[in-house]
Amino acid sequence: MTASADLASRFAAALADAQGEITDASSWPDVWELATSLTSTTPVVSPDAFEQLRRGDRPDPADPLRSIADREVGITQARLAIAETGSVLLIEPSDIDRAVSLLTRHLVVAVDRANLVADLAEGFTWLAAQPQAAAYATFVTGPSRTADIERSLTIGVQGPSRLSVAILQDSAS
Amino acid sequence: MSASVRPFTERYKRAVRDPDLKPRLLDFQRSWRLSRDAQIKRLEQRTERSFDDLRQDFAATKDHVRASWNDYITEFRSNAEAAGATVVELNSAADAVEYITSVCQARGIDLIVKSKSMVSEEIDLNDALQRSGINAVETDLGEWLLQLADERPSHLVMPAIHQKRQYVAQILGGELDTQFDPDDIPAMVASARDGLRKHYLQSGAGLTGANALIAETGSIMVVTNEGNMRLATSLPDLHFVTAGIEKIVPTWSDAHDQLQLLPRSATAQTISTYTTCITGPQPGKEMHIILLDNGRRDMHADDAITDALRCIRCGACANVCPPYQVVGGHAFGHIYTGAIGLVNTAFHHSIDDAAGPQGLCVSCGACETVCPVAIPLQRQILHVRRRAFNAGHAPRWERLALKLWANPTVMRTAMGIAALLSSAARGLGLVQRAHLRLPLPSRLRWRSIPVIPLRSGQTLIASRQPQPPLASSPAAGQTVDLFVQCLADRLLPQAVDATARLVEAGGANVQVPAGQHCCGLPAFDAGDWDTSRAMAQQTIEALEQHTRPIVTPATSCVIAMQDHWPQLFADDPAWLSRAQSVSDRIYDLATWLDGPGRLPNHSLQSTSQLWTAHRFCQMSNRDAPEARIDQLVARLTDSVPAELAEADVCCGFGGLTSLAAPEVGAGILERKLDCVNATDCDILLTNNPGCAIHLNAGAHARGDAHETMHYAEFLANLLPSDGA
Ligand code: SF4
Ligand code: SF4
Repeated sequence: MTASADLASRFAAALADAQGEITDASSWPDVWELATSLTSTTPVVSPDAFEQLRRGDRPDPADPLRSIADREVGITQARLAIAETGSVLLIEPSDIDRAVSLLTRHLVVAVDRANLVADLAEGFTWLAAQPQAAAYATFVTGPSRTADIERSLTIGVQGPSRLSVAILQDSAS
Repeated sequence: MSASVRPFTERYKRAVRDPDLKPRLLDFQRSWRLSRDAQIKRLEQRTERSFDDLRQDFAATKDHVRASWNDYITEFRSNAEAAGATVVELNSAADAVEYITSVCQARGIDLIVKSKSMVSEEIDLNDALQRSGINAVETDLGEWLLQLADERPSHLVMPAIHQKRQYVAQILGGELDTQFDPDDIPAMVASARDGLRKHYLQSGAGLTGANALIAETGSIMVVTNEGNMRLATSLPDLHFVTAGIEKIVPTWSDAHDQLQLLPRSATAQTISTYTTCITGPQPGKEMHIILLDNGRRDMHADDAITDALRCIRCGACANVCPPYQVVGGHAFGHIYTGAIGLVNTAFHHSIDDAAGPQGLCVSCGACETVCPVAIPLQRQILHVRRRAFNAGHAPRWERLALKLWANPTVMRTAMGIAALLSSAARGLGLVQRAHLRLPLPSRLRWRSIPVIPLRSGQTLIASRQPQPPLASSPAAGQTVDLFVQCLADRLLPQAVDATARLVEAGGANVQVPAGQHCCGLPAFDAGDWDTSRAMAQQTIEALEQHTRPIVTPATSCVIAMQDHWPQLFADDPAWLSRAQSVSDRIYDLATWLDGPGRLPNHSLQSTSQLWTAHRFCQMSNRDAPEARIDQLVARLTDSVPAELAEADVCCGFGGLTSLAAPEVGAGILERKLDCVNATDCDILLTNNPGCAIHLNAGAHARGDAHETMHYAEFLANLLPSDGA
């Protein structure tokens, strides 16, 4: 319990270093409430997250990316969270899975507390053992950024400009 | 190779004419250094391993792969193919370009969106595709800005670091037909996002590089901050990967080890925003992985160079490189920039392309201290420089100067004449603080011309009473040979005399073996190994007359004897062993005074003058005891040095660099002297004669208040019985 609380606080600190935000949401209903409070339109939801939420707009399978380009708020689910770096691991084999995390302005990522691990090494060990997951796996750490113009850090250049992470309590799943 | 890479001399001139480049890169290097050091320290604490252990481990992994290279390539290929990718191994840039072109043409693709790929720069892909009517759009913001300006990256990870925001506003404004406020960078970035978005939506293929190719599953790992790579691999139906065959690592665990070192060394981040691993295409799409040789197997075949294939393209070697700070990556490099560019250009492009910037490297070794895969860059650069010299790339004046320098009689006569002229100038009132007051051309005005004293160091020693012993060191009663060094002998005779007195103060006797001149360092530095070898042989002959310890005030020559001589005589066992019997006995004065000729703590007079020390960069960058003159002086004189910022950064002497590229010598010197001035010291001490002369001449030209001295002279002036 203490070890897990320690992981959570290290995760939150590392995420903040990367300009990401930790949220209070600790269940799927919380996540939905948070997402809807951020936008006047309906949040878009990745197929994974939709399994849990059963609401929100989904990318159109016929043209997933174009169908949701530049929607305000998206919700997706991460397989792991890494305390060392504040990263979340997204497993997105197809472009339908990827659409939400690629193209929304504000991405809300939910991850089960049980899947919070200490460091990147654990993340890589997990991936090495999951051939399907490695089809398209991304450690996402904070919002998209660039420092290409005079080294001035600018957030949100191509991917989401805000990234919020919700750690779901074990009972939620 | 490409129309957009201009000749070196033109690139160099442009760089030194840009007034903003130097201060901007200085600012960058300093802030990178702070954040990178903090990151590495945290990594060391977390892993409980030293940076050196971590990098040696990963370097060993990379070396292991090359030892069974074909097996790992086969493993990667079969696993990637099993996952549905097409894998091709291609030999040359032309082959790679042709492959990508034909795949596009067969599918009617006329627009490719590109994520950052140095290999695609290496093969000059964009221009080549353009000629076949295929448009390639860079989507990394920095790369896109370069493309719009028809420029090349000037840094491996911050490709547009040379561009000013005013310039960015102009080129971006032109492309997007918008008026930008140069100070509103977020607005420019937001518009760029929208400007790039339409290209993704229209493109038929995306192209990325790969930071690692993971053999055990045939996966690629790509690290980015913007997220453009994820877009470029998701919107189009075809994904090209261009990667050098050296990018292979055996396992996921190895990829992790690389990731531990890469972002920390590159952008001083714990991790980049996106680390994406892809295994095969998604069903219904295509993935083509191009494994490129283009000189890599030739690099591997060369024992002196193969380690360069460990490179993970982090750019750290440029971030600490003093000449890079002065001229940037367009001059300091070719397509690949920084230290690694001075090496691999000879293989991926040509020795002609690699030759230009060779003379800009001052051999300070700073790059090696931060390279996360421990590549012996300094030595490799000298190796490539030798090839360039042999291919006829040294300027005629340089060849002539080396020839003259190699001849002791010519040098003695020339120096004698110079000394007479100096003395005449003194008579005419043209000398001030030991430098000539002469109008110099503006390119050279940053340093004054030192006068040559009439009496050389050897003459001084021969014509004086020995120093009475001050303490009984372990070497008391022994006789010690002095290697005076060519420069010190004529330009710093007092330091030579001081060296003798400090050795005598420990109770030893000093002899100066006849026939000594130059260890061969300047010629070695210039890539002229034949001349260097001849000079080394002459020095060896002079110094092998006895088998006594040899002490020298010239720190650089210690490196020449210990490092260069074994390379010069690698194929000549007889001379190799003669060289070694000399280099085994050589002591830098500092290690002598701490070792066999040890003088006790506080055995010299104290001083009220505030001093600071510039430690010879080559020694301090390898953390050698020879570098620790600050500790030595503090110990002997019971005083504390003023703390010098960037103490280990080169002073800009760099042997021939300050002659061949005076702007570089001047720029580095300015950085150094600014740090010295900030200490408010009375005296700047240093250990290498060339650096002492350079620092003194520069400070004189600037009118800096402090005095510059070889530390031997400073110490000898504080010997208790000094009555002179
Ligand atoms: S040795 Fe010094 S000057 Fe040469 S490339 Fe390395 S850092 Fe730059
Ligand atoms: S040579 Fe070393 S420091 Fe330079 S880019 Fe390669 S890995 Fe980085």
